[in-house]
Amino acid sequence: MTAQTAPRTGNHSRHDPKGTHRSADDPNVLLEDDYAFYEPIPPYPPRTEREAEFYTLGDGEMFLNMGPQHPSTHGVLRVVLKLDGETVVDIDPVLGYLHRGVEKLVENADYHQTISQVDPLEYISSLFCEWAPVTAYEKLLDVEVPRRAEYIRVLSAELNRIASHSLFLGWFALDLGGLTPILWSFIERDEIVEMLAALTGQRMLFNYFRIGGVNGDLNHEFMSRLGDWMSRAATQIESGMGLLNENEIFARRVAGLGVVDRETAMRYCMTGPNLRATGIPFDLRRAHPYSIYPEIEFDVPTRTEGDSLARYLLRMEEVKQSLRIIDQCLEQMPDGPIMAKLPRLIRPRPGRAWSAVEGPRGIYGAYAISDGTDQPFRLKIHDPSFIHLGAMTTLLPGNLLADTMAIMASLDPVMGGVDK
Amino acid sequence: MDRALARRLEARFGDVLHGPARQRHDQTEIRIGAGDVVEVLRSLHDEPDLAFVMLADLAGVDTGREMQVVYHLWSATTDDWLRVIAEGLSREDPRIPSVTFLWQGAEWMERETYDMFGITFEGNRDLRRIYMPPDYTSFPLRKDFYLPDDAARSPGAGVRHVERTHGPTDATPGVLRQTRA
Amino acid sequence: MTAITRTWDQLTLPGKALAILLPLGAALTLGLVLVLVLFGQAILDILIFNLPIVRFAFAATVLLLLAPPIAFVIIYMEMKIIALMNLRIGPDRVGPWGSLLSTVHGLKVLMKEDFTPTRADPVVFTWAPVVVFSTMALSALVIPFAPGLFAQDMNLALLYFFAIGGMTVVGLLMGGWASFNKYSLLGGLRSAAQIVSYEIPLTLSVVGLVILAGTMSLNSIVEQQGTSGWFTDWYVVRQPLGFLIFAIAATAEANRTPFDLTEADSEIVAGFATEYSGMRFGFFFFAEYIGVFIISALTTVLFLGGWNAPFPVPAISWIIDPGELGLGLLLLVLIAPVIGTLILAAPFYLFRSQTRWWVALLIGFVLFNVLVGLLFGLWAYINFDWVAGLIWFLSKTFGLVFLFVWMRGTLPRVRIDQLMGFAWKWLLPASLLNLFVTALAVLVVDGLGVPGA
Repeated sequence: MTAQTAPRTGNHSRHDPKGTHRSADDPNVLLEDDYAFYEPIPPYPPRTEREAEFYTLGDGEMFLNMGPQHPSTHGVLRVVLKLDGETVVDIDPVLGYLHRGVEKLVENADYHQTISQVDPLEYISSLFCEWAPVTAYEKLLDVEVPRRAEYIRVLSAELNRIASHSLFLGWFALDLGGLTPILWSFIERDEIVEMLAALTGQRMLFNYFRIGGVNGDLNHEFMSRLGDWMSRAATQIESGMGLLNENEIFARRVAGLGVVDRETAMRYCMTGPNLRATGIPFDLRRAHPYSIYPEIEFDVPTRTEGDSLARYLLRMEEVKQSLRIIDQCLEQMPDGPIMAKLPRLIRPRPGRAWSAVEGPRGIYGAYAISDGTDQPFRLKIHDPSFIHLGAMTTLLPGNLLADTMAIMASLDPVMGGVDK
Repeated sequence: MDRALARRLEARFGDVLHGPARQRHDQTEIRIGAGDVVEVLRSLHDEPDLAFVMLADLAGVDTGREMQVVYHLWSATTDDWLRVIAEGLSREDPRIPSVTFLWQGAEWMERETYDMFGITFEGNRDLRRIYMPPDYTSFPLRKDFYLPDDAARSPGAGVRHVERTHGPTDATPGVLRQTRA
Repeated sequence: MTAITRTWDQLTLPGKALAILLPLGAALTLGLVLVLVLFGQAILDILIFNLPIVRFAFAATVLLLLAPPIAFVIIYMEMKIIALMNLRIGPDRVGPWGSLLSTVHGLKVLMKEDFTPTRADPVVFTWAPVVVFSTMALSALVIPFAPGLFAQDMNLALLYFFAIGGMTVVGLLMGGWASFNKYSLLGGLRSAAQIVSYEIPLTLSVVGLVILAGTMSLNSIVEQQGTSGWFTDWYVVRQPLGFLIFAIAATAEANRTPFDLTEADSEIVAGFATEYSGMRFGFFFFAEYIGVFIISALTTVLFLGGWNAPFPVPAISWIIDPGELGLGLLLLVLIAPVIGTLILAAPFYLFRSQTRWWVALLIGFVLFNVLVGLLFGLWAYINFDWVAGLIWFLSKTFGLVFLFVWMRGTLPRVRIDQLMGFAWKWLLPASLLNLFVTALAVLVVDGLGVPGA
């Protein structure tokens, strides 16, 4: 319909979606009605029964649009809450504000380039995001990674896990209104990130793992920083936790908050600390051993409560286990090459490979399909944040508005990973 | 590689499998038709000697000829990852039963797959787009998807001329030639 | 005529304004002088006849003018102290140690755009910050800062304070309702629920004190706490439970962490202030910090002895009467600054070779001024009761303000149901218990006829 043939009279059309009207200046332009503008109700007919159910208000209920510009949505998430007073009745997360189409991009990049493409998915713990596709490619290529490279991978990844968990501590406290822990925990994170920058050359998006090994060997600056930090890490992390653990208000806020039982956790495909907090000792490093984890001693801490406090304490316990792993890595680190012998241009034979690693938030998976060219035919990234955010719809209803962000923070999603 | 698992699976699901179970590295792969998904996955999930209780991933694949939906399962009974490929979905109207009755968490994974491939999961009560805006009309991860397709219809049409460099006419969709597990 | 028109046309815009304003100002001044000369005595009589009203108007003006500087000081304290607790540096750019940053913030807020959202109720939206700010400033009217330094000495001062202080919630509710924003609405309703609930334990906790004091006049309450000169007279010693309840309820009343639910930024963005910008937001912001000051001041007055020193300060008489020096005083005024500056500058110049001479002189000058200021303060402290009182009062008050800031840096926020439950299940029974125990004690003591009780 061109501008000439469009009806000029009246700015409503029978066929327009509900909640819209035609612009008076240009009838081709569809504008949202005022109420649709102020209410988060979508200006089109509901697409599914669930959407219809959600966007129908009951007695005394109202919608509250939270995000994408909200102080505590951990990136760019939009959540539509259905509230009854301050109680959350239902929740509809709206994603896509950070969607970069990485899975499409990697289909147009060669195998080496994809590593830097998947890096910014999970910007808090990038190394795990690299690790999964890299191991998947190695399975496609049937390549054996040198043992020193495996040790370096485990070492740097565990450091990244600690950085991620200490950031979790800060965000969690910030969402509960505590100002100080975030800055205290940033000290730890900053130290680790600087250390990894000395190793990899980058502070956040490391781009360090390579197909068949790692990019660079351990260097002097990294080792001296690591040794310096390891000597005081345990006490520092303990002091950071002391800000929260002994705080009565904190304990009362989070104990019994957002409880997940075992069946729900399995039904919602939850993994990582959120699953282990319910009592299921599922840790991929033990459940499906990879890399050099079978040679390393560590415990898989679990808790049975399944609430936010358990998730928080479990992560802090994992930090201690990670310190143990780093200790053993440094002790057992063998000499040798850090890269397998591979040609520059990689053309794996056609095939499919799945690989998963245990990250700080759950399992990071990569499903790679090769069609014999130098570009992956398909690379599917599995991100735990996405799954855990999906479980929010069952965790939140019945809780107060104030707990929305506390529960979400305790699940620790990273929007970069959720939105791919 | 868990040979016993392959034998068990072949014995249990012999007639619905498309070909023998394939194994490589730490993965065992079986292929089934879209219609058998409910029956096979329920048996895998419920039967105590299989007990694949964890759905690690659900992915859609567009091979260029057909659509596939790929499930990755984990079980304590075996050292292998189990990959279940539901193949033979038509590219015109791909339909497959939902597995949300076993794993509620698959709801969002199926929404993502629907958003990216247009695969309809029958039984998923909330199958709408998850990443792309609601007025979006294409399915970006399909092999015949080209950006100008959508950009021409979107409010941002013509804004980024870079997206218009290759029209859909002068490009051919990629086709997955042959796969080996 | 044409000449005047031409000249007028050649003037620039400021010139035109001046050409109008200057004669106008001259005429007004002349008129004022004439009126003063002719009717000065009559005006003075009227003023003296209406002294309470004049005093009220004057005091209210002074308090309104003083409010922003007090708020600036507390905002700076908060920024800097929380920064140090967070292991940050905090403000360090404007003024020495960044101490002027809050002032600059205030000016910035003045210059920002001040808009009203579509669909907001403009009248209520505009008046809400005024109500909040003015109630805060008005409730300061009854606070005795020092002997003789107070605006009004009412015999119902405490009641007045709670009555006016409770008006704040009206302003917050107005702001929350008129903003046409659900976050604001939630924040406004939360503040209504919270402040109304905490008014009750807050008021009940001081009833015991009022029974003991036998008056609601804040001046008399302070005077009663200074009879022996020691801190044992303070009501915090006789009413520890009341003090505790008052402190907690006052924190909630001032919307401070851990009870800052009305502006919980991680939940409801900024609560009632979400849609406010520019100076209207500034008024809310100032009101919050003045509220902190006033609540601390009231706690000081009621429980911590007000202007009284915690121990009897030995009286020193000022031996030197400057008038006796005669011509020597003139010489002292002329020479002392120079010599003092030189003496104080000398160590910096002699012992640090990098210091340039003019930098050393500058440092010496500043140090000399500080020294003279201290000496002058000491002189004032000894000679004037109100200076001594003000110093003690302010140090106690800002000690309590520091406590508020400390809590903000340490504690997470409570949840709304925990907040309400705490008020109704714990604070209210505790304050009632306090009231009954105090009343019983007074009865028993009176019945026994203990002298001096």
